[in-house]
Amino acid sequence: MTESRRSGSAPFLTVFIVAGAALYAFYLVREALTPFLLAAAFAYVVDPAVVYFEAKGLRRSHLVVMGYLIALLIGYGAYAGLKTLIVDESERLSANAPIYLSQIQKFVVVQQSKLTRRLPLPPKVAEHALDSVVGSGLERLQSVPSDILGLLPLLAHGLLVPFIGFFFLLDGPGGFERLIQTAPSRYVEQAIHLMGEIDTSLGNYLRGILIVAAAIGLASFLGLLALGVDNAFAISVLSGVSSFVPYLGVAIGIVVGGGMAWYQFGTISAFFKVCLLFFGIRLADEILLQPIIARHSVHLHPMVFLLSLILGAEMFGFLGLVFAIPAACILKALIQVGWSWYASESGLQSFAANGESIPYT
Amino acid sequence: MSLFKGLKHWFLDPQFARKKQFLRSLEIFQDLNNNELGRLVQALHARTYRPGEVIFEEGDIGRALFILESGKVDLTRRGPGGETLPLYTVKPGEWFGEMALLESLPRSATAAATETSRLHLLYRTKLEALLQAEPRIGVTIMGHLARLLSTRLRRATGAFTASAARD
Repeated sequence: MTESRRSGSAPFLTVFIVAGAALYAFYLVREALTPFLLAAAFAYVVDPAVVYFEAKGLRRSHLVVMGYLIALLIGYGAYAGLKTLIVDESERLSANAPIYLSQIQKFVVVQQSKLTRRLPLPPKVAEHALDSVVGSGLERLQSVPSDILGLLPLLAHGLLVPFIGFFFLLDGPGGFERLIQTAPSRYVEQAIHLMGEIDTSLGNYLRGILIVAAAIGLASFLGLLALGVDNAFAISVLSGVSSFVPYLGVAIGIVVGGGMAWYQFGTISAFFKVCLLFFGIRLADEILLQPIIARHSVHLHPMVFLLSLILGAEMFGFLGLVFAIPAACILKALIQVGWSWYASESGLQSFAANGESIPYT
Repeated sequence: MSLFKGLKHWFLDPQFARKKQFLRSLEIFQDLNNNELGRLVQALHARTYRPGEVIFEEGDIGRALFILESGKVDLTRRGPGGETLPLYTVKPGEWFGEMALLESLPRSATAAATETSRLHLLYRTKLEALLQAEPRIGVTIMGHLARLLSTRLRRATGAFTASAARD
């Protein structure tokens, strides 16, 4: 006697309604869930290292503990090595920040008056137009320190994320295995299909972007250090972190690093040297990293890419920017799998293979 | 030496080793080495089915191969009059639904557990990912499936020819 499983059409609508309600609930409590989301992303990115050794038959729990101990040692070593540099640089930066800001304001005012004279417009009109543009730009510039301070709560998760991530890593695929066990048997294959698609696109994207961010951060630090630019560490961290948003890291490196070099050395050639450095980094990224990363990553249309970034930033701020593309990857996988089920179950998909009429010999 | 053995025992996962041992005993995976079996264990999903629970139904689109570790699974087909025709009873160590690894066609039979059964699922996209990352694993499995398919086709052709000769 077999249990009946057919209950009409596949419950796509129910799934989408439940998923939509869950997303809305998540949006309402996003502040509380942020460290868990970051921890899940952290565990997801780190997991392949655990999986690699687990395939050799080693216990996951032991591997995770060992991994944390090794990371702690490496982190401590890196901190001890860079401590003087970081402390010196942050002290110098906090002392010089007001000077930098006033220099930027002076520079902008001088350039504004030059531009007013050159524009083929009546002086009053040109001045008014530039005033409104420059005024909003300076206003934005003055709010940069408070914007950076606004990111500080994220740094507070610095300890919480690895702590929660530890438990995610310990559990590993356990959560998904439990989901498979409780799912109705009819939907087990579909659940695995969906998770496989999401894992393929999301994993490749997240790991790829992490590699790019680390590479850009390290290369810009070494490059700026070689050029003797002040605040190399802060600029490279800024450039590396902003690389989570595609192309932003290099753009920020050019603007901030180039501006710093120009101010420090007083020559435009210093600015161009930094520009060359970041163009070189971008080129190396394009030639060396992207072919490896893009081979298996999702191919989103540039418009979808841009729309995801804008929506993410609008709804969740900086975190939204970081997670916009992964969310788009999940949505794309959901649509692809949904369509694949619909097409195969409704007979839209052809199963014929070439050469099927040739006799078996 | 005993310290090394003790450490090794402390680090090794007995459950993982048991799963690998089980896979090694299957003909389809016999040519895989230790590391490859480890990768395969990670690609499989285990699920326990209750007695009477349907694993898949005739006409469903197949997307996974099922390997029976313990229990019993009945394969049946609907007859022309809607009656249930028994085809085969799958025993531990045997697998079924393998054609789903080659193409997403409707299942040609219904599979249902007749007692509490532990099954391992190898999903098609997982196998495709393995084919890219560890081609030897994919080639070994596909080679076995091709031989199996060829044998079945020869047998079916033989049976058809014999039947035609009798008529």
